[in-house]
Formats: sequence, structure tokens, C-alpha cells
Amino acid sequence: MAKEIYYDDVNVGDEMPSFTSDPLTRTHFVRYAGASGDFNPLHHDETFLKLFGMPSVISHGMLVMGITGRAITNWIPQKYLKSFKVRFAGMTMPADVNDMENTTARATVTVTGKVVNKAEENGDKVIECEIQTADANGEVKITGTFKAALPSK
Amino acid sequence: MADKSKLGMEFPAFTYEVEKGKVAEFAMAISQKESKEQVDQVYADQKAAKDAGYDDIIPPPTFQTCFALWGGGGLMPMITALGINLGRLLHGEEEYEYFKPVHPGDVITCQTKVTDIYEKEKKNKPGKFMEFTVLETEMKNQKGEVVIKSRSTLVER
Repeated sequence: MAKEIYYDDVNVGDEMPSFTSDPLTRTHFVRYAGASGDFNPLHHDETFLKLFGMPSVISHGMLVMGITGRAITNWIPQKYLKSFKVRFAGMTMPADVNDMENTTARATVTVTGKVVNKAEENGDKVIECEIQTADANGEVKITGTFKAALPSK
Repeated sequence: MADKSKLGMEFPAFTYEVEKGKVAEFAMAISQKESKEQVDQVYADQKAAKDAGYDDIIPPPTFQTCFALWGGGGLMPMITALGINLGRLLHGEEEYEYFKPVHPGDVITCQTKVTDIYEKEKKNKPGKFMEFTVLETEMKNQKGEVVIKSRSTLVER
């Protein structure tokens, strides 16, 4: 859980603490499908993918956005979050449990971010951060921004 | 192909009741955890949430994706109404603005509207286009307060 954080202590250019997921497996996709209600077969049914010539199921973009959100709420208490926006830049394939050695990197994502602006908006003291989520091979999955209204000392 | 006559179309409003168990299940899914004891306890335990300054348990920042998928009849009716080919569908962008906290027991009414439909030429395939459909959803609680606004961009590749 995030610790208290103050507007005064955050500066433009500060890095957000990075956060790395566990390797994503098909089981994580199935759990997310059930939790979210997104049963698009793209995320769990390899026979559906073969119809489109794709080699593997892919993650729900929203699962990767959810993991990106964890990185934010690990740093900033969620009650301060004002907005959260992402662009899905790449697909995420799962780790194959019979070939973890060659597939773990593509399925493990790290969220990084940086404070790009501080400003008063309608009486709130707001920080804006740019964020990026990429796998261990450097392939970008998400780029985005979030804003948070922080207390001051 | 996305049907440009759908611009401005409003989907029927629907309601979703936020349940404690669903919030914990969603938190486990995005946290890659096997039990609700392992997630951030503001998502699972009322006392922990109160200790952290909330009135009750809160859902994670992306939980409202459940509202349409569980409360709005699922993905397929929406995709069918828009005339989008599921096999070509990608999720391009997702944006949330947060106005008021959401807690278990809240009954959220969602109103979704098609606010933009446009196409972009593919960078590596001149003459081929990708279709973009933007859906905006206003989410109000049982007191009529806007709690969240979302904007989703669907892409047909």
C-alpha cells in the first residue's frame, strides 16, 4: 500500500518507483477473464487464434493496464488519483510453462514513470506523470499518463 | 468495418451493483495473487480501507471495466451493434477520470455513447486503413453523482 505523499516533495523529473509483474501465464489471463467478464476468445482459446494465423493467445490489454495501475497505487494513495489514460502499443504473449526459459522475458512487464508537470488546477495541487509498461525484452506494451491531486504540507 | 452511421449512437443505459467479492476477485486478478489476503487490503478489508482514509473498501482503478462486461450484457452485443469484426478488434486506448469514490453496495448507472469514428492509413500498408471507434461512458452512483467517466478507443485492424 502506498505511503502518504506530499505535493511539496514531488518534483518534475522525479522517477516513479518501478514495478515488475510476475511472468504472465494463460492462467493469469483466465483469472482476469473471469474477474473482468471479458471472454474474448483471443485471450484463452488457441484454436480461435489459429483461424487468424496467430501463434498464441495474448493478454487482455486491460490486464496490463491493471498491472500498470498497481504500479501507480503502490506509489500514490488511490484516493488522490484524478485520471489515468493509456494507449495500447503492443500485444503481450504469455509465458509457455513448458518453455519458461525462452518465454519468461516476453511475459514479464515492468512499469516505469516520470513526473512531467506540477500545477494548480481548480484549487487542487496536481502532478502529472508519464508512464510506460514494457516487457523484459524492451517491447513497449503501454504508454500513458496519470494525474493525481496531492495534499501539501 | 465500423459503420459511420453509428456516430452519436447511445447504448441502452444499464446498472451494475458493486459487490465486495467481485472487487476482491478483480484485485486478485490484476495483482496475480491466489487469495484476497495477498492483495492490497484497501480492496478486500473494510477496516484496512477505513484505516487508509476511505469510507469503505474501494475497487482498483480499472475495475469499472466490469460494469459494461458484467452489467451491460457483455462484449459481444456491443461489438455486434457497432458492426465490428471480433477477429480484427483491438483495444487502442483507455482513459478514466475519477470524480467520487466507489464502494461495495453502490449501484452504478452507465450511459455509453459513440463519440467518434475515424480511420487512419496503416503506416506499413499504404491504401489500407484501420478503423477507430471511440466510446464514452458516464457512470453515476445511486445518488446521481458522476463517479467516473471513461473513454475507450476500439480499433479494427
